Amino acid sequence: MLNWGNFLSQLFNGLVSGALLALISAGLTIIYGTLGVLNLAHGALFMLGGYAGFVAFQATGSFVAALVCGTLFVGLVGIVLERVLIRYFYDRPDEDQILVTFGLGIVLVELVRVAFGSLTQSVPPPAWAAGITPLGFIIYPTYRLVVFGIVAAALGALYLLLYKTRLGLVVRAGIEDATMVDALGINIQRTFMLVFGIGALAAGFAGIVNAPIISITPNVGDDILIECFVVVVIGGVGSFPGAIVGGIIAGEIMSVTSMFDPSYSAVMLFAAMALVLVARPQGLFGTR
Amino acid sequence: MTHHDKKGAGLTRRSALLSGAGLLGAGMFSLPRMSFAADYPPLGNFPDGASGDSVFVGIDVPLTGTYADAGADEQKGIELAIEHLNSGDPLIKAISPKTSTGILGKKVTSGVADEQAKANVAVQNATQFITQNKAMVVIGSVSSATAVALNHLAQDKKVLYLPGISGSNDTTGKDCTRYSFRECHYAYSASAAIVPVLLKELGKDRKAAYLTPDYTYGHTVYDSMTKFSEAGGWKTVTNQLAPLGAPDYSAFLLNIANSGADVLVNIGFGNDAVNSIKQAKQFGLLDKMTLVMPYLSPFLAKQVTPDLMAGVYGTTEFWWTYGEKDPLAQQFVDAFSKKYGYKPEWGAHAGYLQIALWANAVETAGTFYPPEVIKAYENGEHIKNSTLGEVWWRAADHQLVRPVFVVKGKKKADMKSDDDYYDIVEVVPGEGIMQAPDAFGCKLGDAT
Amino acid sequence: MKKLHSGLPGLVILAAVLIVAPFVLPQIGANTDMLSRILIWGLFGLGFDLIFGYTGLLSFGQSAFYGTGGFVAAYLLVSHKIPDVFLGLAVGTIGAALVGLIVGLLALRRTGIYLAMITVAFAEMFFFLENSPLSAVTGGENGLPNVPKPEIHIGSFDYAFDSDGRMYALIAVIFFLGFLLARRIVNSPFGHVLTAIRDNPDRARAVGHAIQRYKLAAFVVAAAYSGLAGGLEGVLQSYMAPDAFTFDTSGQLVMQTIIGGAGTLYGPLIGAAIWLYLRSMLQVVGFGPAWKLVLGLVFVVLIVFLRRGIAGGIRDLAAYLGRHRAEEAPAVTTRTAAPTLRVVEGGGPAKSRGAVVLEARHVEKRYGGIIANADISFAVTEGEIRGIIGPNGAGKSTFFKMLTGEVLPTSGQILLFGEDVTRRNVTEISQMGLAKSYQINQLFQKLTVRQNLNIAALARTRGEFRLDMIRHVDEVPNLNADVAETLRLLNLTDRAEALVSELAYGEKRRLEIGLALGTGPRILLLDEPLAGMSPQERADTVKLLRQIGLTRTMVIVEHDMDALFGISDRITVFNEGRVLVEGTPSEIQGNPAVQEAYLGGVHVA
Repeated sequence: MLNWGNFLSQLFNGLVSGALLALISAGLTIIYGTLGVLNLAHGALFMLGGYAGFVAFQATGSFVAALVCGTLFVGLVGIVLERVLIRYFYDRPDEDQILVTFGLGIVLVELVRVAFGSLTQSVPPPAWAAGITPLGFIIYPTYRLVVFGIVAAALGALYLLLYKTRLGLVVRAGIEDATMVDALGINIQRTFMLVFGIGALAAGFAGIVNAPIISITPNVGDDILIECFVVVVIGGVGSFPGAIVGGIIAGEIMSVTSMFDPSYSAVMLFAAMALVLVARPQGLFGTR
Repeated sequence: MTHHDKKGAGLTRRSALLSGAGLLGAGMFSLPRMSFAADYPPLGNFPDGASGDSVFVGIDVPLTGTYADAGADEQKGIELAIEHLNSGDPLIKAISPKTSTGILGKKVTSGVADEQAKANVAVQNATQFITQNKAMVVIGSVSSATAVALNHLAQDKKVLYLPGISGSNDTTGKDCTRYSFRECHYAYSASAAIVPVLLKELGKDRKAAYLTPDYTYGHTVYDSMTKFSEAGGWKTVTNQLAPLGAPDYSAFLLNIANSGADVLVNIGFGNDAVNSIKQAKQFGLLDKMTLVMPYLSPFLAKQVTPDLMAGVYGTTEFWWTYGEKDPLAQQFVDAFSKKYGYKPEWGAHAGYLQIALWANAVETAGTFYPPEVIKAYENGEHIKNSTLGEVWWRAADHQLVRPVFVVKGKKKADMKSDDDYYDIVEVVPGEGIMQAPDAFGCKLGDAT
Repeated sequence: MKKLHSGLPGLVILAAVLIVAPFVLPQIGANTDMLSRILIWGLFGLGFDLIFGYTGLLSFGQSAFYGTGGFVAAYLLVSHKIPDVFLGLAVGTIGAALVGLIVGLLALRRTGIYLAMITVAFAEMFFFLENSPLSAVTGGENGLPNVPKPEIHIGSFDYAFDSDGRMYALIAVIFFLGFLLARRIVNSPFGHVLTAIRDNPDRARAVGHAIQRYKLAAFVVAAAYSGLAGGLEGVLQSYMAPDAFTFDTSGQLVMQTIIGGAGTLYGPLIGAAIWLYLRSMLQVVGFGPAWKLVLGLVFVVLIVFLRRGIAGGIRDLAAYLGRHRAEEAPAVTTRTAAPTLRVVEGGGPAKSRGAVVLEARHVEKRYGGIIANADISFAVTEGEIRGIIGPNGAGKSTFFKMLTGEVLPTSGQILLFGEDVTRRNVTEISQMGLAKSYQINQLFQKLTVRQNLNIAALARTRGEFRLDMIRHVDEVPNLNADVAETLRLLNLTDRAEALVSELAYGEKRRLEIGLALGTGPRILLLDEPLAGMSPQERADTVKLLRQIGLTRTMVIVEHDMDALFGISDRITVFNEGRVLVEGTPSEIQGNPAVQEAYLGGVHVA
């Protein structure tokens, strides 16, 4: 017996969580597409965003300040990491890149644990976004609606960046053929640095935006990373539209299956991924 | 602060303060008592671990991962107890009257290892303690999975194991072993304690929705809660099984919102509890329903903030304001907060009491030889004074018969201090809230 | 010949360490139980090293097989369905191998980061399966307690492995046997092909190895090792914990192997020792929860500075010292020896002209709207040396790729020895006797010259796939002799033990030809074999080509017309994706259409 109210709520829910996942995955996918690096530290950056925002919130009491500070901090961390470590790995085999970002992810998580302990931290939603909004016959937390709005805006901003700016042009060209872009004399080094920073920014932003919904602990990014893999595989590695569509699909799969049997949600996600790999390995929008 | 004159204790404020200073000087020990090692055959770490002038306690708790806070809290309580033992603190002596300093005159040493909330690592740590350090007892747990694993290890290695936090019925049920003893409350006793209070405070005609973590602990609490609540007239309208560690509860909360329930029974523990409560608030459920947490996890109110916990009913193993009624409890709270700077949560208390009761059993047995210590545990003697009043061990399943605290969350405005999260509604005596010893299939193994 | 994995001294040291460890190491805080666990991780890592260190497949999902092996064994033993622990372990191992087969069939379709991601996903699936739907069997998050200890009952002899020391001895023996087996696999022809796959999978495929089957076989072997290790863990602890299935387990395996050194077989054991020991010691000295931070930093530092890990670093050092002590003869170009041997003879009868051996009929290749090759008809007879010339972009390389099976024609037919091979893949065509030497060197960079040629020769003698993991590579008949001939022919005998990265460009080009030659083809395609060579090198290579051409059919694409016209029987000219004209060298030289195509016009003087 399908409760239609429930079903619609879940569909909507999937949209919201999917949008968030899409944002994080977009960061992951443009980093891979442009730099060729699969950033296994992406989940840790998400977590870092949550903590940076938390610290900012404790200091200022303002959610907006938390959002801005958290995001910028993680973007900065991304740029520093790229300059100090990641860029020495562009010429190294794929496996090395995976491994160094994997190790980096662990180091970041453990640093945060040493600094903050394992206690769950909370950031409450801003007062103007707390409470519930009735949407027809379903009730929905206002903050989640706000999240959807914010994330959609962020994705929009990312879209403008990628498709309407010169940097974005270079990035998209780099995704297609980095060597050629380099040969054309464009400062690929600076581009790479910015791309990694932007990708990190996206993850950090998602981290602080998500904090009022799920509490932040040092390990909060672990599951997110794995879900991002699924999104990126479904959508196609290196594809921005793929990340969005893949994110929505993943969000919906998890939400809708949890209506029927929650313990199978995650398995359904991986089954979908396996299906894509068998039927269309390059993903929905991928080209390689 | 009022002082009751407990017979035999003769405590004064000054001596309580002195013992709180935790003297660990070597000269504090009386002459080692002869433990007649020759009388007993070697078994487990006996007599190796007890032949010197010290004995080792292995503290196996999660210090990273989901339950790290409760684990750290437990460790502190255990270490405080060991300190008190070594200094002959009056509090310990009140619980274990035969104690002078140390245990059977031997100094107590300890080591701590991080089990990372993984049963595997817990077993590895415990094995290390047993073989490398010749531990005479291993203590600590936050998840029942680790407790159960260590139960079996203890039986295998013939070394005592004392769970800290373990809420599943199975720990002294089908997974009970001769070598382990559980002090804390658990699904059955918690449910049996809280339901009468709920029936009284909330009425008999209620519709309850359950949010249950999908693992053994969750299932046993659900079973026990529904057993008692339905007997009292409540209707169970839905049971939402959430995977362990699920970050997003919207699916379940939406189902609960649409179920017509007016009571939400949340069985989540640790992080799961924090997340589900926060999200329940966001979905407006807490405005429509009363929240009941039949098994509160440590630090929950702190993490979730009092705004959300006001008016919430729950059970806990110990709450620090009990010190207002019981001087020994107060001594414990004082000693702990003096040493660590915050009021102890129930992991710390469970750890402390477990050590104290172990000391009591060993002193009663007069030896560290495990089967004799086990006999001392099982001899049915009541421990007259403890931080919980009178308690005793049930021989048939190694569960301590002890009261359960039913608490209610305070409004922020009513909090008199930073840690004053709960009012104690009732301290339910242990005897009436326990199941028959074999109800959960406990078959204790052999002592040798 | 040089083994991929050096021998006896290492084994003796290993055995000695295994025997001495339980007596010495407890003094520094590593008790017997820890040593047993280190060995179990080492065993787990042997399988992983095989697929990662030797084959280049980075799997983050080995926990799936570790857990499967562990739980199958534990379940059967705990429920008394199987009474004997050794049998239970065996069944668990086989179960894990089967699961490895299924997962491998799905996962190995992809490589690189995709493979890493898929393996993570599969591992997570297994974790959820263990925790929820199968929890009645697996005990869910509680795991399975009361796993019995192994016992031996032979006649009236009863022996129970019921103490730490006995369990250690048993596990040490199992590890040592596992190590010997892994070493054997690495030194087998099968193992050599694995290293080729790690190095240059496309070339391995082109040289005639069915690499997917090799990968799958290696993957199954790794799963078996994982399963055995998992089972042993359950038996050691008398308890099978669900964390066997977590991502953490896979991650820890990867980190330990990198720290110890991938591709050395010793690496995982060393890494496990460091990890488990430090984890314990760091906590004892008071680092508390920061132990993982320390190990994580160690890991990152090693990846940055000492990628080959500890064992790899030691091995590199030893090799570096060894190489500098040996005399290196400079690369001298000498006359090539007279061909008398099998390799040169191309596996077929000496020149018999007549039969068409390679033919293209109306072959076309389009990429979207772009026509790379249009209506190409082309036939080569046995023993012929055909040259192909044409301006850049004329479609020559694309045509070659269709002949070898690397690219699928849009339409048309390709026949090899009369058989339609249009849809066959590069491996099958290579096995049929057609090989190509590439315009841009496609060598196995990290292997020596000799090892490169071995890979080609192994494809010839063993076909596209053979599961000869136990055989020693030296036992392959005539391998050494064949490779020696090829070396002589290529004038690379002095450089046989040099790594490809140490070769001069000309030497690399010769090796490139040698790789194609080493597969014993009847038809040899050469894509600009003289590209980038000095005049002297050209002259020598042309001599080599003449030599080779004596007993086989050759098709050569070249821009060096003098050289090409000198050795070809006929020339085909390509232009703008089509065959412009075909004829003898002298006919082509005077052909005005050809001149126009190249120069854009000709003035008759």
